[in-house]
Amino acid sequence: MTELTCEDRVALDEWHVVAALIGLPVEQEQTVRLLGCDIALRRGEDHHISARVAGSGRSLPVQTKFGHVWTSLGTPVRTLFAIPEYDEPDRRNVIAEMVPVHVSAPRAVENFLDLGHFAYVHGGYLGAEPHTEIKPYKVTVEQDEVIASGCKAYQPRASLIADQGFEVEYVYRVPHPYCAVLYKSSVLDETRQDVIALFVQPEDEDRITAHMLASVLDPTSSDQEIKDFQQLIFAQDKPILENQIPKLLPLNPRAELWAQADAGSAAYRRWLTARGVRFGTIPA
Amino acid sequence: MTLSGWFPVARSADLAPRHVFQTGLSGQEIALWRDRDGRANAWENRCPHRGVRLSIGANLGSELRCQYHGWRFASGTGQCVAIPAHPGQTPSERHRATVYRCTERFGLVWVSLADEAEDIPTLPGSIWLPLRGMFVEAPLVLVERHVMDSDEVRFFLQPVTDQQTVIHGLWIGSVGDPVALLRQQNDALTQLRNRIESEAA
Repeated sequence: MTELTCEDRVALDEWHVVAALIGLPVEQEQTVRLLGCDIALRRGEDHHISARVAGSGRSLPVQTKFGHVWTSLGTPVRTLFAIPEYDEPDRRNVIAEMVPVHVSAPRAVENFLDLGHFAYVHGGYLGAEPHTEIKPYKVTVEQDEVIASGCKAYQPRASLIADQGFEVEYVYRVPHPYCAVLYKSSVLDETRQDVIALFVQPEDEDRITAHMLASVLDPTSSDQEIKDFQQLIFAQDKPILENQIPKLLPLNPRAELWAQADAGSAAYRRWLTARGVRFGTIPA
Repeated sequence: MTLSGWFPVARSADLAPRHVFQTGLSGQEIALWRDRDGRANAWENRCPHRGVRLSIGANLGSELRCQYHGWRFASGTGQCVAIPAHPGQTPSERHRATVYRCTERFGLVWVSLADEAEDIPTLPGSIWLPLRGMFVEAPLVLVERHVMDSDEVRFFLQPVTDQQTVIHGLWIGSVGDPVALLRQQNDALTQLRNRIESEAA
C-alpha cells in the first residue's frame, strides 16, 4: 500500500478535524484531505458518518465533537481534548468559518497564540497603537497542554458586542499540535470568558484549512454577525500567514529571532519538539 | 553556493518613494526600498523575527516596518530599532534584517549577494535609457544565447531563480521620441521572450 506519504507517526496517530458537521451533505460523498492523503467522507441518511481512504478504501475511525468531524489515519493514542465551556447552556456555539490557507498548520497555531501582532494586523479591533506593549505573562505545560495565562492586551473592539476599548485578559491552551483554544474576558460578565477555538486541518505540509469555533456569551447578535466578525479578523491574518517564509515552522530556536512577548510561541515550539511532531515543521 | 557578481534587479525608477519593490536573485527573494535620502536598500525579503515578507511591510522613509509585529529596521544597516511589544527595550545587535550590497548605476539597481564582487560593468557614453525589464520563464544560460548587444543597446541579465530570468536593457544610442523608442524596444523584447520561452518549453 502506498496510500500514506506522511511518515510522521505522531501526527498520524492524532485525531484531526476534516469537516464542519453543518456543511456535510447527506448521502453524498465528499473528498477531504488530511496529511497528504485523500479521504472520502460520507454521511448516511441516519447521519452516521464514515471515512475511507480514497483509493484503498481503508476504513477510518470517526467522531464528531464541537460541531466538527474528526478522524485519524493512524491509531489514536490520545482522546480528543475537551472544551467544557462548549456545553454551557447559555453559550452561542457558532461554526465561524473554514478557510483554506497556504501555510503549515503550526504557523497558523502560532499566529493564533500571538499577542504582539494585534495592533498591526488587527488595528482598530484587537489592538491599536500606541497600546503595543506586551507585559510578561505566564507560560506552563500542564497535563500535556501548553498554557499561556495572564496575557493582557488593550483592545478597541474585542468582540462583536464590545462598544468601547478595554484591557482584555487572555488565556491560551494548546491541547493538540494543530489546535488551540483561547479564553478572553467577556464584555457581559467579568467572571466568564468568551471562547474561540482554532482547529487546523493539516491537508499537506504547507496547506491547511482553518476551522474556527466561537463559543461566546452574546444573546443579541445573529449567528451570521458572529461569523462575520470572526471572518473579518481571520481575513486580516490570512495574508500574513501566506507571506511567511518558510511556510513550515522551524523548530530550531535559532532559526528565527525572539522577543520576550514570544514566550508562548517558544513554549509551543519546544512542546512540538518534545512530542516529536514533524508534519508542517522543520525539525531542529 | 552564493552567486558572485553584481546583477541588475530593478530599474531605479521602480523604487518609488515609500514603496517596497519585490524581486529575486538566484532563488533568494529580495525587498528593495529607497529611503527618504534617496538611498536604495536590498534586503532579504523576510523579517528575521517570524519570516514575513518585508515587501508587504511599510516604507516609513528611514525605516522599514514589518507588517506582522511592527518591528522597524533602519535603512542602511538593517538594524532593528523598535520592537513595539517592548517599547522600553533597545533591540540587540542580533535583531537585524539581512542586508545585501546594493548600488545604482545607469538607471538600474544592482545587487551583489556575495560580500566580495568585481566591479559593475562600464558603459560608453553618459546617456542611458533603461528599458522595461523583460521577465522570461527560462534559465539564464538559455537567455544568454539569445540576447545580443549592439552599438545602441546593452543587455544585462538577472537570474531570478534557476528557471526565471529578467532581461534588463540599456539604450545607449540616440533617442528621438523616448516613448516611441521604449514602446518599440518593448515590442522587440516581448518577441524575444516568446522565442526563448517556446524553446524552453
